[in-house]
Amino acid sequence: MSLSAYISRDQRSGLVGSLLLSCLLIAVGLLVVYFGQRYQLRIVYAAYVNLLVVLGLQVFMGNANITNLSHSAFMGIGAYVAAICVTPVKIKAISLPQAPWGLNAFALDPWVSAFIAIAITALLAWLVGLIITRLSGIGATIVSLALLVIVHSIFLHRTDIFKGKQAFFGIPQVFDINSILIISVCAIFVARAFRESHWGIQLRASADDEVGARSMGVNVYRVRLIAWVLGSVFLAVAGISYAYFLGTISARPFYFTHVFLTVAMLILGGMRTVTGAVLGTLLISFGLEGVRYLETGPELLGIKLPELLGLSGIMLGVVIVVTMAFRSSGITGNTEIEQLFNRWRR
Amino acid sequence: MDYAIQQVLNALSFGAEYALLALGLAIVFSIMGLVNFAHGEIIAAGGYSMFAITSLLTGNPFVVIVGALLVAVLASVLLERVAFRPVRYADASTGLLTAFGVSMILQNLFLLLVSPRPIAITNLYFLNWPIEVAGVQISTLQVFETVTTAIAICLLVVFLKKSSFGIAMRAASLDFEMVRLMGIRANRVVAVAFAVSGLLAGLACIFIMARRGSVDPTFGFNPVLKAFVACVLGGFGSLPGAVLGGFLLGAIEVGMLVLLPQSYGGMKEAFVFGIVALILVWRPDGILSPAVEKGDKL
Repeated sequence: MSLSAYISRDQRSGLVGSLLLSCLLIAVGLLVVYFGQRYQLRIVYAAYVNLLVVLGLQVFMGNANITNLSHSAFMGIGAYVAAICVTPVKIKAISLPQAPWGLNAFALDPWVSAFIAIAITALLAWLVGLIITRLSGIGATIVSLALLVIVHSIFLHRTDIFKGKQAFFGIPQVFDINSILIISVCAIFVARAFRESHWGIQLRASADDEVGARSMGVNVYRVRLIAWVLGSVFLAVAGISYAYFLGTISARPFYFTHVFLTVAMLILGGMRTVTGAVLGTLLISFGLEGVRYLETGPELLGIKLPELLGLSGIMLGVVIVVTMAFRSSGITGNTEIEQLFNRWRR
Repeated sequence: MDYAIQQVLNALSFGAEYALLALGLAIVFSIMGLVNFAHGEIIAAGGYSMFAITSLLTGNPFVVIVGALLVAVLASVLLERVAFRPVRYADASTGLLTAFGVSMILQNLFLLLVSPRPIAITNLYFLNWPIEVAGVQISTLQVFETVTTAIAICLLVVFLKKSSFGIAMRAASLDFEMVRLMGIRANRVVAVAFAVSGLLAGLACIFIMARRGSVDPTFGFNPVLKAFVACVLGGFGSLPGAVLGGFLLGAIEVGMLVLLPQSYGGMKEAFVFGIVALILVWRPDGILSPAVEKGDKL
């Protein structure tokens, strides 16, 4: 086969795995498009946006084994930059009358805006990454947490650009469920390709044994930085998809609640594999809908349950603690989906 | 001159609060390599216990203070027993994520069982009154805070240097296996570390409460985030580093408050963390980081 001259065995296996995961995603998507109601469509869309976030997390956090808590901030940056670029001038004249640097005097095509948003997010991620990739594991986690707080305080403080706690409205709703399906399938292929690329292998090696990897000639800082920036591109795309579907954004969804949620998804599934990222996202996204239903205090079998605010947060915490205590590598551990099938066949 | 003294005292009292919390984090980290994200919830537990004691038993501030300290110590030891023991020998990121999960559970439990809204607790306000010393207006709370922290640090140093438990804890931070081979119970050393950490959190809780006067589910988050940053700044796991980092962070924060124009008030955190990031570029492992051996030590 001529293809095998260009790609390794693992990469070929990665293509098969990505294909399988894509089938799963498309199946869920088709089910909801043909049989689902409007609110279910929104739930699936939100789940797929979170899938992009979790995949972006997996690229850095999973391969480098450094816990990152700043991802929602990068998603926010992507969403806001795209929103500022794409919103029509007339609406911006109302919503951002005092925007500096003529930000309210232009409007761009959605694709150009998305491209600018990705570029700016990646640039910022690169600058931050120069610092973060050099820190030891725990230092990097704390600095990423500080980064989340910084970005959030900027969103809240610069009300003339980001509208702070109020909603930034009037973003053209150009995305629907089909667009997010295509994007998430692409994202799976990219994340898996990175995992099996020589950078991904070097990064995973450096996570297992930093000194060992270094002695084999791995430039640890460089591969970490590459993964960090690539991850931020995923996050920017997630933010853009979020903004282009809902039409309004505010600073709140890009803060702790979202960080908790997506980290729990990745941990439950298993952060070392792309399969784990997909599995964890789907399980928690749809599981939480059930918990949210209980949270509102419904009537079950004639018994009126009390309103239980905070139940979903407790469940997420329990998921993390239990996973860590009993199976710290998550459901999938180190096994990707196609390896699982291979094992069954034998 | 008045203004300068005032600001120095501000910096000291901020720094004292961060140092107390950072020390608590560093003690636990140095012994079992756990980044205790749930530290903030221990502070919050102390705060809620003040509310419980005031409304159920008595408003006597000394009972309230002692009660809050006890609850913080108990909560800390209990968390170790229930949540952190299963991951004691796991790698750092497993422990970190467990603590992260525990923190989420506790925060939401406060929200579910007590109230999502802040609860006012005003019987510690008496700690805070303005006095004039040599013509300079200062607040007693700041003096109390700085002095208490200084005493706590001195006692901790004596405890670590003189008592056999303290020596065992210092040894455990170097080589836990060896300490266990010497016949010292691992469980006890870890439990004492968590108790000390809880006690320091309880002390910090009293001062934060006397200043803020209300408690809500995310009460502990901001102070502990600062304490984490202080730890990273000083060198994670180093006790002198935690103290140094705490006071340095306090100084940077007050410096920013003084230097930044009023309109940038909301961006203070951003500038403070920015400066910390610059210091970390200079010393990625923190200022007083212990020399780490990254190779295998089997």
